[in-house]
Amino acid sequence: MALKERPKPYLLPEYCKGCGRCLDACAKDCITLSDQINPLTGLVPVELDLTNCNACGLCMDACPEPYGLRPAHEGEIQDFELEDPAKIFGVKPSDAPVPVDLPSEVLPLPRTEPLVIKGTYASALGALLAGCRHVYGYPITPSTEGAELMAKFLPKLDGTFIQAVSEVATVNMMYGTAGAGLPTMTFTSSPGFSLMLEGVSYMIGAELPGVFVDVMRGGPGLGNIAPEQSDIKLACHGLGHGNTQAIVLAPSTPQEMLDLTMLAFELTFKYRNPVILLGDGYLGQMTGKVQLPDTMIKPGIPKWAVYGDAMHRRNVITSIFLTESDLEAHNVHLNAKYDAMKVEARGESFLCDDAEVVLIACNTPARTAKGAVQELRHQGIKAGLFRPITLWPFPVEELKAAIHGAQRLVVVEASAGQLEDEIRLALSKAGVYQFPEIESVRRMGGVLPQQSEIMTRVLGRKEVLA
Amino acid sequence: MSKASVFYDRFERHSHGEGLKGHATHYCPGCGHGLAHKYLADAIDELGIQDRTVAVSPVGCSVFLYYYFDVGNTQAAHGRAPVVALGHKFANPESVVISYQGDGDLASIGLAETVATAQLGAPITVIFINNAIYGMTGGQMAPTTLMGQTSSTSPAGRNEYNGQPMKMAELIAGLDGPVYVERVALYDAKQRIKAKKAIQKAIKLQVEGRGYSFIEVLAECPTHLKMNPEETEKWVKECMEPVYPLGVKKDITVDPWFKRNPPCFKGEKILSLAGATSEHPERFCKGFPTHLALNDISLKLAGSGGDGAQTAAMLIARAAISEGFDATHIPSYGPESRGGTSYADVHVAEDEVLNPGSPDPQVLIAFNAPSLAKFGPTVRKGGFVIYDSSVVTDAPVLDPSIKMFPVPFTGIATDLGKAVVKNIVALGALQAATNIFPKDTLLGSIRTALKDKCALIPLNEEAFAWGIKSVEALEK
Repeated sequence: MALKERPKPYLLPEYCKGCGRCLDACAKDCITLSDQINPLTGLVPVELDLTNCNACGLCMDACPEPYGLRPAHEGEIQDFELEDPAKIFGVKPSDAPVPVDLPSEVLPLPRTEPLVIKGTYASALGALLAGCRHVYGYPITPSTEGAELMAKFLPKLDGTFIQAVSEVATVNMMYGTAGAGLPTMTFTSSPGFSLMLEGVSYMIGAELPGVFVDVMRGGPGLGNIAPEQSDIKLACHGLGHGNTQAIVLAPSTPQEMLDLTMLAFELTFKYRNPVILLGDGYLGQMTGKVQLPDTMIKPGIPKWAVYGDAMHRRNVITSIFLTESDLEAHNVHLNAKYDAMKVEARGESFLCDDAEVVLIACNTPARTAKGAVQELRHQGIKAGLFRPITLWPFPVEELKAAIHGAQRLVVVEASAGQLEDEIRLALSKAGVYQFPEIESVRRMGGVLPQQSEIMTRVLGRKEVLA
Repeated sequence: MSKASVFYDRFERHSHGEGLKGHATHYCPGCGHGLAHKYLADAIDELGIQDRTVAVSPVGCSVFLYYYFDVGNTQAAHGRAPVVALGHKFANPESVVISYQGDGDLASIGLAETVATAQLGAPITVIFINNAIYGMTGGQMAPTTLMGQTSSTSPAGRNEYNGQPMKMAELIAGLDGPVYVERVALYDAKQRIKAKKAIQKAIKLQVEGRGYSFIEVLAECPTHLKMNPEETEKWVKECMEPVYPLGVKKDITVDPWFKRNPPCFKGEKILSLAGATSEHPERFCKGFPTHLALNDISLKLAGSGGDGAQTAAMLIARAAISEGFDATHIPSYGPESRGGTSYADVHVAEDEVLNPGSPDPQVLIAFNAPSLAKFGPTVRKGGFVIYDSSVVTDAPVLDPSIKMFPVPFTGIATDLGKAVVKNIVALGALQAATNIFPKDTLLGSIRTALKDKCALIPLNEEAFAWGIKSVEALEK
């Protein structure tokens, strides 16, 4: 084999910042600092006199610029006068292929008998059936059973469960796996969700999918581990810094914990945006009847992913847009996406058609309210229930229809009015300013409104406020 | 002219590649980042892994790593690069993931992620640029700033109230997770050759699936050290190196171990893990037990942890669902991990449980005196109270319409040789006292729960039968 001739250095003065790090690398003193300012850069590039150069290459190793001191290969540079970079280096920035979507597959599942499982288990199964094989988490009551089930099942499915060092690490592991284009999720509870919000903002900014199951508990601070609807405000209007929104789903039964988790994975990839599933501590722990679906998902890889292969080499996942006009354009794009998400609004009306008293509730309080509606109907009162299934976007059209004939609106919630604020904001944005005064049944601190309290409120018109 | 290693032919992402920015980095003259970039690019090129590489850009001056490297790129939040790298590595174990971080990112805000990822030991490569100062935010004190060194947030020089500089290579080498840790420098040709080799070795160890490696690079920041590039090289050699000694800090030989199968997407496998079956359970009920309630029965089971209240509650819920009804079970516990209170609210409804809580149950099963005292008075008129008469000697006086069933759960279970079956005794008593479901429904639920522990079925059946007998004896 012939010895390769070592190339001598070559320098385009425009790409030299004149740092001089190459000077002491050269034993032959071929390089000197100049005093000539380069008119294109305003910098003072070094000067090369290659008379004594033995092509040792050390100056090139000392140059911090990729297109600074470079090997001058024989025959490649014919004309040193030709200094248009596009002509020297070519116009194509990368030879990486143009990626295409590798679609996910829908696989049939045999029909099975209903399971009797906890809400968190149902959600975990929903995630597995939605094709999620990468789950990261940090233990926090009352959501931990979901993570425990994943830690047990995922190794048997050659999936990954990693208990992260914190919720901050959790969300960023999700960022990585989501960046690779794969479904990922976590189970957390209110204090943990607070910690994840930085990462959620990054995921929204970088347009990454991911499902967050937040089994809400009592707050603020350490609060307690009992159920509260404490994070509605956070999920609907506080997903970290910047212009952030995400679809927020509010299941009310173990069955919905499964169904809405599966829906969350569909929506998170559809919009390239995180989806938040808000449960409450009751729902997470509650065991109930859960029917598995007829199909499951084998995920593909979207074309935007950074999977770590040839097909996806040209992609980048980032939320930084240094130029103001670029960042503004990105926000305009995100806003268009948030607008498009409005078609995902879902709500359910129960006996609202002729209702004079419409209760509004979500999660477990919606179940309790449904019981109250039935009891009120027994007592001859025309009561109905409106249950938002998505809290953002709020199903305002469905709400308008449900309260059309209502004389009284009663919001039943385990929070200090976070759901009521969503209702008021949604009605206001929809231009609805005329509606009955909103009455409320509120409990906090881990206490859920009881059916008896709803009855008292509706029948006695007494304030039921904790 | 040939393409420079794995750098883009033109830096399109640097101000849209316009003008000189298309081929020049954003780094200041003399900055160490450019050299580390070049050695990283060379290593990727020489190992032939350009297509498989995912580079994680941190927050700091190297946030724009993705302007330059023609590889898969991702940009992480401040300090989170190593865990983002893990997310990529586990998503595609074939990918080669590089977490490139500065001192503020790695040794300050991301310390937890840095240490935990190193200790996890999964094969990723961390390139740590230590220049003893914050660059991008403009010259503030870094965790690696030297004692006495001035910065905009240690204007009088770092002193004891700012703490000592962080020696990351030594810290990481002290962990069990990493396989290779080295500190290198860039101040002269000899060090640069070592740096280049170290970076290549660190990535090779990842490619071979041997483990986590960490290269600390002592780098120059002429701008914020307020020196010219030559003086900065000298400063790194004379001031930094004594605090941060160069060399290999850890290098252990490990066989390749990181091999992961592609995830399984077989529906049958998930169904089997979930315990789902297409077998139709046998039904024994003729209809909903309307003698208890028209369409919704509310029960409460209460005791201490270990009494089996939750298991019994679960068995009732499963029995109901196997009969085609709806049911819910909500457990609640005291803060203790063991031995605290343990209550279960159960509802059985013909169509749908609307209100799953049991603040005023129709049926109470109490495993001890405090539970009976607490929940006895909440039982609805005409309801049922079944309690463990082995441990409750003084039952409270409740509304006369409530039927009381003192059954020695513990005594029977102990006689059977297994105190843990007292909850099954209680289920037998529930069946006999309320006839909520036929015996076979509850027995079926018990047998299904024990399908992996068949040897225990006869004992449980006996316990159930004794519960029934005890109630029948009371009624005689």
